[in-house]
Order: sequence, then structure tokens, then C-alpha cells
Amino acid sequence: MDDLVKADDRAVDLATAFDASPNPYMLLTPELRYAGMNQAYLDVTRRRREDLMGRHVMEAFDANGDTTNADLLRHSFEKVLATGETDRIAILHYAIPLPDDAGALRYVDKYWSCTHTPVRDDGGRLRFILQHTTDITELHALRSQAGRGRADEGQAVDALLGGRVMRQAEDIQEKNRQLETERTRLFELFLQAPGFIAVLSGPDHVFELTNAAYATVIGRTGVEGRTLRDALPDLAGQGFYELLDNVYQTGEPYEGKNQKIRLQRTPDGPLEDLFLNFIYQPIRDGAGKIAGIFVQGHDVTETVLAAERQKLMIDELNHRVKNTLATVQSIAMQTARHHPDPKGFAEAFQSRLMSLSHTHDLLTRSHWEGADLRAVLQHETDARGGPTRIVPNGPPVALDPAQVLSLGMVFHELATNAGKYGALSTPDGRVFVDWSVADQRAPRLHLTWRESGGPPAQPPQKHGFGSRLIERNVRHDLAGEIELHYGPEGFRADISMPLRRGE
Amino acid sequence: MDALTGRRILVVEDESLVAMLIETILEDLGCIPVGPAATVPEALSLIEGDTAIEAALLDVNVAGQQVFPVAEALAARGVPIVFSTGYGEAGLEDQWRGRPTLQKPFTEAAVEQAIRQALGA
Repeated sequence: MDDLVKADDRAVDLATAFDASPNPYMLLTPELRYAGMNQAYLDVTRRRREDLMGRHVMEAFDANGDTTNADLLRHSFEKVLATGETDRIAILHYAIPLPDDAGALRYVDKYWSCTHTPVRDDGGRLRFILQHTTDITELHALRSQAGRGRADEGQAVDALLGGRVMRQAEDIQEKNRQLETERTRLFELFLQAPGFIAVLSGPDHVFELTNAAYATVIGRTGVEGRTLRDALPDLAGQGFYELLDNVYQTGEPYEGKNQKIRLQRTPDGPLEDLFLNFIYQPIRDGAGKIAGIFVQGHDVTETVLAAERQKLMIDELNHRVKNTLATVQSIAMQTARHHPDPKGFAEAFQSRLMSLSHTHDLLTRSHWEGADLRAVLQHETDARGGPTRIVPNGPPVALDPAQVLSLGMVFHELATNAGKYGALSTPDGRVFVDWSVADQRAPRLHLTWRESGGPPAQPPQKHGFGSRLIERNVRHDLAGEIELHYGPEGFRADISMPLRRGE
Repeated sequence: MDALTGRRILVVEDESLVAMLIETILEDLGCIPVGPAATVPEALSLIEGDTAIEAALLDVNVAGQQVFPVAEALAARGVPIVFSTGYGEAGLEDQWRGRPTLQKPFTEAAVEQAIRQALGA
């Protein structure tokens, strides 16, 4: 083996191991001359190293007159040289001389299986052919017995059996290749899976493997090789360590549904709330002992938050519907008290109901974010002749939904009164609505409803529902002030109210 | 004379139409409505300045705020409470469950019954 021994110790170690192997090995140059062999080869062939080194293999090979096997061998070597690929001889019949009981040498039939592997140098050039030989004599004997007595016994059987052995070997090799491909594919699926996956090992839950989705959930990478408590210290006190300890100890899987978890997902960042669906599945080794835990799950934070938002919205909707029904009930009851006749009641009640409905339409258009003062006024007074008879004049003023509802009712009652008793009861009367906003830091709306061209205004003898409604809405709902003036030129209302309540 | 006659009842309700309805019903029963208060701070200052409140009708959600601080101030003075809510009893904090509760919209009979229950009259 001296030819293999290079300057470095690794080659020496390899050569020693090679020599110690019980399997016969030999090495040929591209000229098919012996370049080396191990002790097992020398033992089997009963040759001395110095007799073989440098000699042509076919010259040294004593075929004992059997040229078929010599041809098989030569053909295999030539194939390796020509193709540069490994070649096998499934069954090679080669008798070797062994000493009998009396000490005389006798040729004994032996069957071999040979593998010829090309050995290349750094430049890729074929330097050697390595022959690895396995003694399959006993196997062959068994197979021959099985086929005894049949006409095709002999070389055909050998070829057949050899072919079958090779086919089986190739089948196994192909299956291994498929399994390897499958394993790689599964591993890649695992890494790319949309759900998060982690494999924890041992009682301390050491991260063995995590996928990209897992890294996204925990907001960090490089946890492999670290214990759970070390890699995710932010989980302390949340019960997850204890759950995993329990799964490891009892072997009972654990399933978490919409479970809240707090994680520090950015360095020095805040703890973030996530909701996860997951399973902790114990992994057992070949002996059935628990070796680790398979963690798999999904981040369902968006779904859980959406469900919470939906519940809030349904509660809010229910609250609003119930409040609106109570409002309608109140309108019905109070309108009935001031209209003993059914016709008058129906008219007044419907008019107020329609006003409320119009305001809701306006708010629905803005998704209940509010509306502009001018739009509210126009909506409630359109039925009374629109902007030519009720003349709006003022800057844009954004109102919140509660203010829109209250002012809507106020405008409706004012316009109704004007139509019944005031400026709008005559063909030429008009109403001027002027407003302004004072003090931008704590903005306040000043609005004047001034009727003109109608009959002189008289204070009402009886405090009706309409005027109570106006006063209540301004003082109570809008936290504002209202002054009503009655005079020969007509009715006037001065309203003053804060625009940002509760700030 | 009925047991409800002349009893002073605090009303906390942010929607004036609903507040007007409650007042009308209370007046029909012979009670004297106090307020109505449209916000929690307004209700608290009314309680501070009026020691003669005998019962209270509280809307659970007033101007976006929960009415429970008002309920606590009243309970500390031993004033009986009736809640009114569009959420039903589910809208109440645990400690207030079991108190007379009006579900909106409510009838005159329901208001009367709840007030009588609260006053033990």
C-alpha cells in the first residue's frame, strides 16, 4: 500500500485501515498492473506482495484454464477504463489453491462478487481501479442446490441467479434513492410549511429543528441547539414550559385552541399578544420511550381579533337598535299626549319618524363617522322648500354621530314649527340660518335660526313636545345653550354648543 | 296616596328622548324626577348636591362611559338602583347582577314594577 501513502498522516491511517480490513481489496493502475493490495487479498490468493506488485493482473491471474472468467474480469476492467464508472461482476467463478489435510495444494471452487471502482486524482484523471471482492461461495452453493436436477443448471443458472441478485441489489438501491428523495422532499415541505413547526428534544426541550413560519411567530432565528427556557425567556409565567414538561413526562399530547401567547418579537420591543392554534405531540424512539416533542400549529391572531371586533360590533349594533326603539317609543308616547286625535297623531309621529330615518341615512353614508352641519340642515329641511326658503350660511363644521342625531331632531322641530305657525306658513317667508365657530382650541358653534317675512311670533301658551324636544336636545344631549325670541319680525332661536365634548 | 307619590328618583340617561319618556312615566306615577344627568360626572355632582335622592334609574352606557362609578356612589349612600340597558343583564358587571334591570325599550308597567321593587314599595 506504499503507493497510497502520501505525506500526510491521514493517508497513512487510511492505508492501515485498508490493510486491516477482512475484505479483500486490490488496486490496479490504468495499465492493469498491481499498485497495491491488502493483507486479506494476499491471504485469499495465497500470494506474496512482492510477487504481485507491478505485474499485469491478467498475467498474475491464474484462471486455471477457465478463460470465460478471465474474459469477464478483463471486460469489467476495460469497461471501467472506458466509461469511468463503477462496474460489478455479480458472480465470478474462480478456483483458488488451498492446502489439503496432507499439506498438498488443491484447487477449491470459489464464487466471488466483485466491484471495480475508479479512483481519480484531484484533476479528475483516473489513477487506479479499486477491486473489492466478496466471497459468496456459500450463497452460491445454496442456490445451486435449489436448482439441482434441472436442465439449465450451470452457467445459465449462475447468470440467472446473479442477475436476480443484482436486480434485487439494484431494486434496493433504487428504493433507497426514492426514500432519500422522499425524505428530502418532506424535509423541504416541513421547512416551507405555512404552519409553524418545531422539533424539541429531551426533557429540557432543546430546539432541534424549526421552520420559517416558527421563526416568524417567535420573531427570532438561530434557536437550534438551545433549550426552550433559554431561547424563549419571554414565555416565563405563561404556562407553556409547564405544558411541555407535562407532555414529555406523561406522553399525553396537548392541543391549544385560540391560546393567547405574549412574545417579544423584536429585540428591545414590547411584548406582543398572539393567538395560536397548536398541538404538542410526543415523539417516541424505537423503544417507545419519549425522546422529544413535535410542535405544530398556526397563528390565528387575525381570526381571533376579527371575531372579537365582530362581537363588539354586534353588541354595539344591538345597543343602538334598542336605543333607537326606545327613542321611537318615546316619540310615539309623547306625540300621543299632545295629539288626542288619531289623524293628528299619525301625521306628527310619521313626520318625526321620517326625520330620524333621514338622519340615519346621512350617518350610514359616512359609516357612522359623522356628517357636516350644512348636510344635516339640508336633509331635515328639504321637505319645507330647501335652501331657497331655508337659507344656510356658514363654514363647514364636522359633527359626530350623536350631534348629528340631536341637531337633526332640532332642525326638524324648528322647521315644523315654522311651517305651522312661522315664516314658512306664508308663501314669501324665509328662514336664515347663520353659523360660525369661535375659539379653535375649544371650538364652540354659534347658530342662529332667524325667521323673516312671516306673521309676528307669539310665545306659545302651552309648552309643546316640539319645543321641549328642542330645548332638551340642545341642553341635555349637546351640552349647549338655547334662547328663544318671539317678536313682531318673527321667531328667532340662538344656539351655542361645544363641538368637542368630553375632550 | 300611593307609596310612590313624591319620591325623588334620579334619572341618568344620555338620550334626551328616552330621558323625557322616563320623566313622563315617573311623573305619571307621582314621582319627582331628579336630573336627568347625561354624563357620569354630571350624575356624580347631582348626587353630591342632593341628599334627598330616594332611588335611581341608571342607563348602563352614558355618553360612551359605563355608569358603575355612579352606582357605587349611590350604593355607598344606601340608595336603591334600577339599571336600564339595551344589552340586557349581560351588560352588567358581576357585582350588580340581580339588581332590578329594565331592558330597552321598556313599558310603563315595567318601569313602575322596577321602581317599586327597588324601593320595596
